[in-house]
Amino acid sequence: MPPKLPKPEELANVNYKPPKKWWQKGTAEIKEGFWCFGSRPKYLQAVDMPNPREWKPTDEDWKLPDNWREIFLEGMAERLQKYRSFHLFMDICVRCGACADKCHFYLGTGDPKNMPVLRAELLRSVYRKYFTPSGKLLGKIAGARELTPDVLKEIWTYAFQCTECRRCSVFCPYGIDTAEITIIARELLNLLGLNTDWIMGPVANSYRTGNHLGLEPHTIKSNIDFMLDDIETVTGIKVEPSFNRKGAEILFVTPSGDLFGEPGIYTCMGYLMLFHELGLDYTWSTMAAEGGNFGFFTSNDMAKKLAYKIYSEAKRLKVKWILGGECGHMWRVWNQYFDTWHGPADFLEAPVSPITGTRFENAKGSKLVHIAEFTSDLIRHKKLSLDPTRNDHLQVTFHDSCNTARGMGIFEEPRYIINNTCNHFYEMPENTIREKTFCCGSGSGLNAGENMEQRMRGGFPRANAVQYVKERHGVNMLANICAIDRATLKPLMDYWVPGVNVAGVHELLGNALIMKGEKERVIDLRGEPLPGKEGA
Amino acid sequence: MPAIECYGQKIELDNEGYLVNFDAWTDDVACAIAEREGITELTKDRLEVIRFMRQYYKQYRAFPILSSVCKNIHQPTGCLHEEFIDPLRAWKIAGLPKPGAEVISYLRK
Repeated sequence: MPPKLPKPEELANVNYKPPKKWWQKGTAEIKEGFWCFGSRPKYLQAVDMPNPREWKPTDEDWKLPDNWREIFLEGMAERLQKYRSFHLFMDICVRCGACADKCHFYLGTGDPKNMPVLRAELLRSVYRKYFTPSGKLLGKIAGARELTPDVLKEIWTYAFQCTECRRCSVFCPYGIDTAEITIIARELLNLLGLNTDWIMGPVANSYRTGNHLGLEPHTIKSNIDFMLDDIETVTGIKVEPSFNRKGAEILFVTPSGDLFGEPGIYTCMGYLMLFHELGLDYTWSTMAAEGGNFGFFTSNDMAKKLAYKIYSEAKRLKVKWILGGECGHMWRVWNQYFDTWHGPADFLEAPVSPITGTRFENAKGSKLVHIAEFTSDLIRHKKLSLDPTRNDHLQVTFHDSCNTARGMGIFEEPRYIINNTCNHFYEMPENTIREKTFCCGSGSGLNAGENMEQRMRGGFPRANAVQYVKERHGVNMLANICAIDRATLKPLMDYWVPGVNVAGVHELLGNALIMKGEKERVIDLRGEPLPGKEGA
Repeated sequence: MPAIECYGQKIELDNEGYLVNFDAWTDDVACAIAEREGITELTKDRLEVIRFMRQYYKQYRAFPILSSVCKNIHQPTGCLHEEFIDPLRAWKIAGLPKPGAEVISYLRK
């Protein structure tokens, strides 16, 4: 049974007074509600990762290989050599503390080791001890620490108490990307078989089936058929998408959460309706039915391995370019890593919207276009008929997903879509949106059930900003462009800000979209009556 | 490993209460798991839900979209939460193996 979640008023009472104990001692306090189960051996075996065994973070013995210290330090040496950014970030921090109160986990827990500077220092102290002359000679005086079992457990605890959201990096005067330090810390921990079940399950599924949920091709088809049936009920229109169709112009890829979870399926219905209305020459792939990549929370090599299926499918199906749905870390990976890993994608063409003729110059290298860019371009060219009054019952605010905001600068496009599909849109405070957006508190593979207190604490700053617009404007809908957000923000809202619902931007679009030949709309995509149609 | 008694037969469950052997499932086993899960009566509506889930799993080897369950058996939207509070409880009673953690996260209300 997951540990009992304290009441919101208890959690909101955060104690920011630092403990007296000197942090360098290395304490491995694995608190209930703050950790995720260790990966089951079958998932590690499925992708040939080291040290598969049953283990639990609260166990004294983590069943590590005898030479675990050597493995960790050799892994660190290799990465210091390979990634100049990592080496630089280990050296240049002056511990000014500008990042300290920018982390949602610090704000929600008051735990100093959740200050990005100190979280990174857990690994930096080991770096100093083994890789710098001052640390080797002066030890503790130079801020160096031995890599002891307790220090290892401490690094694990805080590497999985960071969502790699990069808000801290926005405020760092040196531009240190603490997320990259977490990423490397997790890579090193993976060398010892120290990943979580929640991350490795989707990795293994993705390796086997091409998607995190492990949906097989006929199941994907069946799930989409169910959505098509609902679309017909709402609009009277029969939508008939194609699957694995060779020669289509565009391959569409979205996170598999949109094919299964609520409210993601309503976002997916929005995509299906939009593409039908445009008469878009596109296809789904049942082999690459996943834009997300939990390999990114495992290691660079695993992320690369899992990513290739998308280009591979694009090549097999002979499409011209790839359109991607609403997701967060999927876009971090697509936008920042694809070209380096697998580029140049010269078997594809530079993306051009077949409806407006717009050339997506920013995507001419990777050939990957974000659906918010695609749709906002359609609206700007007046290619869609929209009736925003259908969303008049919604007072909407927008949560910028960390990865699309800070990872690729998608700020205006989703807002442009919302403003054209809804009449009531309100921004959260300036320092909680756009590049300063607060994380949902559950990204980067922390969306499990056993760490719910950690998640609710981490999501507290975001929820607080939603509470602000709820009180001032009656906000009742939190829109977003991320599948993980759609899964995590609902429990967060139910806990901190009850009465606020969660939707993908393309769900709002699907509701507002006037389709040719549609019947009079009386219900929305969730089957709820539209405003003014309650008695219909 | 925990087990339940059902008409003198020992039925094995895993540590979290999921049936170990898919084929060991019968209506009586369902009743015994339901009781363990705190559901005292398997009404006709509840039985419809779990029979559908079993059938769906056989064909698709996956957890169905929640609203598709209700739609397929002509029950009101939200029938799973209405009847079982937690959809996973229905899944357990249907004698199906524990779904992946990501699937579970999407089931959370």
